[in-house]
Amino acid sequence: MSRGVKAIMAALVLILAGSAAFLLLRPKSEGHVARISLDGQVVEEIDLSRVETPYTLTIDGPGGFSNTITVEKGRICVSKAGCPDQICVHQGYISDGTTPIVCLPNKLIIEIIGGGSGLDAATG
Amino acid sequence: MVQLALLTAIALTIFMAEAQLPPLVPIQGVKLGLANIVTVYAVFVLGPGDALLILCARVFLGAVFSGQMMTLLYSAGGGLLAWAVMAGLSRILTVKQLWLASPLAAVFHNLGQLLVAAGVMKSWAVMAFLPWLLISGVVTGLFTGLCAQFLIARLERISRGKDPGTKED
Amino acid sequence: MKQRLTALILLCTLLTGCAATDKGEQPLTATVLAMDTVMNFTFYGDGMGEEQLRQALSGAEDTLRQLDAALTAQGAEGEAAALNAADGGWTAVPQSGALLQQTLELAELTGGALDPTAYAAVKAWGFADGNYTVPNREELDALKAAIDYTRVEVSQDGAQARLAPGQQLDFGATAKGYAGDLLRRQLEQGGITSALLDLGQSSIAAVGSKPDGSPWRIGIQDPAADSGVYLGVLELSGRSMGTSGSYQRYFDRDSVRYCHIIDPATASPARSGLAGVTVVADSCLLCDGLSTALFVMGLEEGVRFWRENSALEFDVIFVTDAGEIFVTSGLKDSFTLADGETREVQVLE
Repeated sequence: MSRGVKAIMAALVLILAGSAAFLLLRPKSEGHVARISLDGQVVEEIDLSRVETPYTLTIDGPGGFSNTITVEKGRICVSKAGCPDQICVHQGYISDGTTPIVCLPNKLIIEIIGGGSGLDAATG
Repeated sequence: MVQLALLTAIALTIFMAEAQLPPLVPIQGVKLGLANIVTVYAVFVLGPGDALLILCARVFLGAVFSGQMMTLLYSAGGGLLAWAVMAGLSRILTVKQLWLASPLAAVFHNLGQLLVAAGVMKSWAVMAFLPWLLISGVVTGLFTGLCAQFLIARLERISRGKDPGTKED
Repeated sequence: MKQRLTALILLCTLLTGCAATDKGEQPLTATVLAMDTVMNFTFYGDGMGEEQLRQALSGAEDTLRQLDAALTAQGAEGEAAALNAADGGWTAVPQSGALLQQTLELAELTGGALDPTAYAAVKAWGFADGNYTVPNREELDALKAAIDYTRVEVSQDGAQARLAPGQQLDFGATAKGYAGDLLRRQLEQGGITSALLDLGQSSIAAVGSKPDGSPWRIGIQDPAADSGVYLGVLELSGRSMGTSGSYQRYFDRDSVRYCHIIDPATASPARSGLAGVTVVADSCLLCDGLSTALFVMGLEEGVRFWRENSALEFDVIFVTDAGEIFVTSGLKDSFTLADGETREVQVLE
């Protein structure tokens, strides 16, 4: 087995193990601020931990249609969308920073980031 | 020439079939990249130049048939990155190691798709899906690679007349 | 070749298997209602199992409840309540004796800016039961006469204490700090290496830093803004902090705002020009008591006090009514302004 082949095999194993390890070991992100961006620009940041009553907001995007976002305490989702695939709607709620909700046709991204500035507590 | 057309047809078929599968990650248009196996095979057997021709034909026709521009961007981005890596690797590997080249190509194909998505969305947020895409790349790439390797071995045996299934009478 | 491949695959599986079992430190978080406020605790134990963490947590909760009951001025079993009801008679203070002495010491240190006997005024203004009133001139004069920590006596052995007739006392300014120090020691002894005790936001105590070595990040409330809007972040490692502010509890009457921090000298809500004070030190009790005292003193006197008492090793963040932010030099590196905050931090040397 030539060196090149060994190198590639090693690389593949590394990629596989590394990705798996990353997914499993990654500490549960403490974020609870949802950042909504449209076409690369942040349009809204919502502190999900402070939401008492659920509400919805509708955003019109460059795709020519709108996404209706439902905001609840601790989680957020796209409840309605005008895109053909509805992938964003099917994804359901997200409550931590593991994966973002993406509506590609409308260039919409909703991601949960660490508490604004990653605060552990606050004076009051 | 016939070979090129045949391979393009195969790639296109795989591509269209794959489009019927449920999405891998919640980004519209990101594909498993199964059709990539054809590109990998072509690079090793026909050379990088011809492989590129097949790739472009497949990407273009695929977009036309599926009717989505985003698909074209993803296939192009992913396919080209994979092709480039394969072209570089063709010095080290031979067609006998197709099963090994395939997962690597798949990984870069997915990376390419994700980079395109990041560019379109103008945000790195989509990179959150990278771990999943890397894993699926290795797994599906290995699968298609092994299938292809097996198929090639079988075809070779048939062409040499050693297929035990050949009837004498 | 096949063997090598198998070996590689096995290694891969092993790695991911290991990764799956050791998920890293998971904190135990809990919300406790005690001392008239909501407290949030976060614990990490070095290699401790979840069971042990839970034990540590319930131990902390028990201590807290016990302390709360023993110290309160409002419940029947509280020692402060007993002192107040005794009207000058000697009362046993088994649980609160130590706290009482430390509070009186702080009162002396701060020249009376902190005074536990100001409770009489706290009650008179309605902050104890919610029936807000503005006492009249005579009532205030009487209160002023009654507020005097020097007339509180503690027996030699510290087991008994008595107030002067007419005095009323409570541990409102130092109870949480005391609890914070107690809990911290308890947790450290129990093997907890990393914890954050948020005792109602006005007192926060840290055990060590976060497991990854980074400091705890504490948001500093902007007194002039809505709850949850911070003017900056303080990094805390192994120390404590206490905050007193006019925005914490207050009532408005005839377009005048009256806050719950009583100036012992006037028997009325303090108007020192400060909107918020945060003290950082090792002892949570010190932070708690000093934050009240410095708030009453005001900026000028407060800064002077800080300069004259460097042996106490504490630092302060002052926020004035005008919105100016002052930070003593020890916090230069651990305090950062929030994003988008246009004000400047003035460092005091």
